[in-house]
Amino acid sequence: MSSRWKLPDFITRHVLYALVIGGVAGIGFMLFLIEFDHLTSSEAFCTTCHSMELAAESYRQSTHYNPVSGVRASCGDCHVSEGVFAATWDHFLGGKDLFSQIFGPDYDDPVVNVLHLPDAAFAARAWFKSKESATCKRCHVLEAIQGKRTDTNAIHREETAGKSCIDCHINLVHRKVPDEKTFKRAQWHRMIEEEFGLEAGMANQLMAK
Amino acid sequence: MNLSLLRRLLCLALICCPPILFAAKVTVDPNQWGDPLGKECISCHEKASPGLAQQWHKSVHAEAGVNCLDCHKASVDDIDAITHEGQVIATIVSPLDCSRCHTVEYEQQKGSVHSEAATIIENRLPALAGHVGGDAIVAAGCDQCHGSKVKLRGDGTIDPSTWPNSGIGRINPDGSKGSCSSCHGKHRFSKAQAREPSACVRCHSGPDSPDKAIYEASKHGMQFQSHRDEMALSSDSWVAGKDYVAAPTCVTCHMGAAGKLKATHDVGMRNAWSLNTPISQKQQLVVFEDGDKLELPESHTSPKRGSELTKSDGSMGKVKAVASPKRRRQAMNLVCLECHSKSFAGSFMKQFDGVVKLFNEKFGKPAKSIMQALYSEGVLTPVPFDEPIEFTYWELWHDEGARARHGAAMASANHTWWEGMYLVGRNFYARFLPQVEMVAGKEMAKALIEEHVKSLDHHQWMDKPQKANPILGYDVTRQNNEQ
Repeated sequence: MSSRWKLPDFITRHVLYALVIGGVAGIGFMLFLIEFDHLTSSEAFCTTCHSMELAAESYRQSTHYNPVSGVRASCGDCHVSEGVFAATWDHFLGGKDLFSQIFGPDYDDPVVNVLHLPDAAFAARAWFKSKESATCKRCHVLEAIQGKRTDTNAIHREETAGKSCIDCHINLVHRKVPDEKTFKRAQWHRMIEEEFGLEAGMANQLMAK
Repeated sequence: MNLSLLRRLLCLALICCPPILFAAKVTVDPNQWGDPLGKECISCHEKASPGLAQQWHKSVHAEAGVNCLDCHKASVDDIDAITHEGQVIATIVSPLDCSRCHTVEYEQQKGSVHSEAATIIENRLPALAGHVGGDAIVAAGCDQCHGSKVKLRGDGTIDPSTWPNSGIGRINPDGSKGSCSSCHGKHRFSKAQAREPSACVRCHSGPDSPDKAIYEASKHGMQFQSHRDEMALSSDSWVAGKDYVAAPTCVTCHMGAAGKLKATHDVGMRNAWSLNTPISQKQQLVVFEDGDKLELPESHTSPKRGSELTKSDGSMGKVKAVASPKRRRQAMNLVCLECHSKSFAGSFMKQFDGVVKLFNEKFGKPAKSIMQALYSEGVLTPVPFDEPIEFTYWELWHDEGARARHGAAMASANHTWWEGMYLVGRNFYARFLPQVEMVAGKEMAKALIEEHVKSLDHHQWMDKPQKANPILGYDVTRQNNEQ
């Protein structure tokens, strides 16, 4: 009997220790990643950077923050992919934002922030499009979209071939930015200058910094 | 050459050069419309906005294959361009957009009182809407008829204080002026609807220009109501006297084809008088080379063809043509002549002119002179509408005065007198003159009234006790006996 259960010769005691320790460490690491992704996807974490607090202002006015259903989407629910590897990868990529926050323009300044907002919006939209709006679909199930109007369901069933949510639904949560194709930076700058009472040309100067 | 040959030659000439009798047909090659990408809009819009999709389905546009994108397409550089379902479009379809096909109508309406409706009141607007009303009134009131100056915001949205708006003098993001949908209801674009008097009522109503009410109170309006089924309102060709004879509508006289007279989208072309001014003036229409137009009072020397003249926006323009008030009246008369005799139409115009001249001489001019004196003497502050007499004067010419003149122009006896000149008189004698005394004091008021009012024959009756009358209960017989 005992010979049947004999381990192969190369599994020495040391190898066995290493496997157990490695396995436990591996599980621990995965658990850490899951927790890490969870923690770093939260509004509380994201808004530890002041610049993100500016993004959160409009978010808190949106229906994604205060839906009648009581389901609140947090930052990561939309902006971080599902699955521990994808989520970790997204956070890794997001590291460049942290780099810009520390070494780049002063995004904490509301004017600088909103001047760069269109670029951020375009990047975010491209990301959603590349993922076929996967994070939207975590909550929004095509078959379940009924809508208040009679035809909302029909439109989503019949008119969405080749499209994902982001193709039609933009500007839902954050400050409105036009589509990249028709965006006119000069007009955007003029609007910001007017809004913050800046002299003409200030927006250009700030962007050049 | 005998007479019959001459007649034959004349007939030949007429046949060879037929005048355009109705709105110009679109001459654009049909390949220019029916954008295949535009067909994709329809199935979604049938669900997302079934009302307007159905309206379009019933339109001549749909019949001809003109789809959403043909009118709404924009270039990415357009200031109001947005991306919608992958297409670059603009919400606002301006007259310039319509002119891609409807070139003739665009050129005609360009520079007309309609397309200039916002520009014309631009310097009056702050006083009335700003002082008496407010920004909300400008957006929801004034600009809804006169047209807003559409403002695009940096985030691509249209400033909601300037849109939605289908005011007829709207200043569009592309710089063109006007709004075709002001008269031609969007998406359906029905000829019949635009020819109805009700197409005009959204703006031509209210105290200053109750034109729909005036029309309905006239014989013309009465005939229209009774015989509207004979009006051929949906007909392609719509020439008064040929395609219909039951009654004229607003469009018939002011824009429509009648006999030899061509249809025009310049609505003010046939107006010899300015009626919505403190004092009416006969006006000549100057047409510039670039299509812009200018109203000049008859008293101004008639500009020569090819000469340079300052346009209403201050820039210089080369004169292409001038229509004298007489020519304009002749054009209007041509419409009348489809049903009335020359002398009938001529005498009607004399009655109308008489009312305008009476208003001018008896009330318009004296009231204006007195107001000018009150301002120059410092009796009134320069700020409009901060003193009761300013409202009185405003209503005298702008409301009751305009009503009387419009009433006479379109043959509503009631609007000419009770709703019009009677109220002008009441305003003048029972409000305006007493208020002059209140603000200027007895002495100055007496001098002003002597100079501007009592010097006129029209007002001599005031100092004539022998003009006594029992209308208000005065016992004339007793008075005569006592004398």
